[in-house]
Amino acid sequence: MSPAAATRLVARSLVKRFGPVTALDGVDVDIEGGHALAVLGPNGAGKSTLLRILAGLAQATSGELTVTRAGAAAPGRGRRAARAGVGFAGHATLLYPELSARENLIFHGRLHGIADPQGRADALLADEGLATVADRRAGTFSRGMSQRLSISRALVHDPGVVLLDEPFSGLDRRAGDRLSLRLRALRDEGRLVVLVSHDLARASEIADRAIVLLAGRVAHTASAGELGRDALEDAYARALDASLPPVPGDAGGTTAGPSA
Amino acid sequence: MRVLAAILWKDLITEWRSRDRVVAMLVFSLLVVIVYHFALPEGTGPDIAVHTPGLLWVVFVFAALIGLNRAFAMELENDALAGLALIPADRGWVFAGKAVANALLLFLVQGLAAAAFGLVFDIDLAASALPLAGVFALGTLGIAPVGTLLSAMAVRTRFREVLLPILLLPALFPVLAGAVEGTAEVLRDGGPSFASVQLLLVVDGIYWIICFIGFDYVLDE
Repeated sequence: MSPAAATRLVARSLVKRFGPVTALDGVDVDIEGGHALAVLGPNGAGKSTLLRILAGLAQATSGELTVTRAGAAAPGRGRRAARAGVGFAGHATLLYPELSARENLIFHGRLHGIADPQGRADALLADEGLATVADRRAGTFSRGMSQRLSISRALVHDPGVVLLDEPFSGLDRRAGDRLSLRLRALRDEGRLVVLVSHDLARASEIADRAIVLLAGRVAHTASAGELGRDALEDAYARALDASLPPVPGDAGGTTAGPSA
Repeated sequence: MRVLAAILWKDLITEWRSRDRVVAMLVFSLLVVIVYHFALPEGTGPDIAVHTPGLLWVVFVFAALIGLNRAFAMELENDALAGLALIPADRGWVFAGKAVANALLLFLVQGLAAAAFGLVFDIDLAASALPLAGVFALGTLGIAPVGTLLSAMAVRTRFREVLLPILLLPALFPVLAGAVEGTAEVLRDGGPSFASVQLLLVVDGIYWIICFIGFDYVLDE
């Protein structure tokens, strides 16, 4: 078993309230290294909120989050411990446009206290095929290049847990295929991947389990082998239907199937 | 300390490339000095020496407000603030890096603005350059921590340009009391008194400790 495969992320009864609004209402997550979890659901279901709590960016109103890492003497409780082994790539790239690609990675490497940030940055840039543009400012990158650099940034400290929020948004098909391949490789290296997406087809390429969130609750859970099957697609379609107001004049369900 | 050094390096290198904050602060400071020139027709008279400390610190405080309002703007672009919040260390070091960078930029602007003030009003500030720099530094070290913390708090609000001065100016009263008095003593006696230096050191120390601890909560969502 690789070191990363010994990673485990357990969240119990997560609740997050923003004033009177309950964004998450008792969500459980339990996933180990070498597996990928897709978090699906309509807009406002609480997917991004869940991911930011798992990353340690936001604090749950109640509930418990534990990240166990290989080599750690004890399970890491608390948000600083959770952050140590987590790589996060959100809607935005978290990059500084004034810095070059290499400088962005070196900066984040220094923040995480890695031993050789320059060497690590060069290795990641080579892995992502960005070595030839390493000294170009990140602000001049295309959406696809920025997304690849953002994934490298999330991996700079070699985290066992990789959290991704809509990583395919804005990417063309070719860039999406390349990213999908990269994320499968991360999973197969033994990392724990949690992927928030609207795109069931893309999520199914990477994830081996899934949850469908609706109004902050887990409406459906798909275990390994069920992904891409009718039950999950139906659950996802139901969640989308439930999140939309009825269309005047349409008595039945209106939502098309999940995007392919 | 590695986090502090990384943030300081990043802030200074991005400022060197964009120069948006220093240029804005400097242009504003020079314009205020020119406004003083027209607003004080007897500006070159002996009275100006009495008012110089207060006039200088008005320039410094408003220049600081301009710079601090932009201090976290770059962190909002691409949600880079989340990258800082994700560090597996005390987030107070992020604050310390940002505050030191803010202090250095403000100190640079103070030096240039004071030189311009001296030229416009024909006051020889160069003769007291070293003790003046000491008082400016102590004052800046009081403005930077509380300004950085409040800037981080205000940056996610809709009215951040208005909110920051409303929150910051009252917090700067003790710093200004020591800094204006210390500057006046330098210009009058050649050096600051122990009382004004002591006041600045105590206020600076309190602000750095409180802001270091409080910053962890500011980055929470």
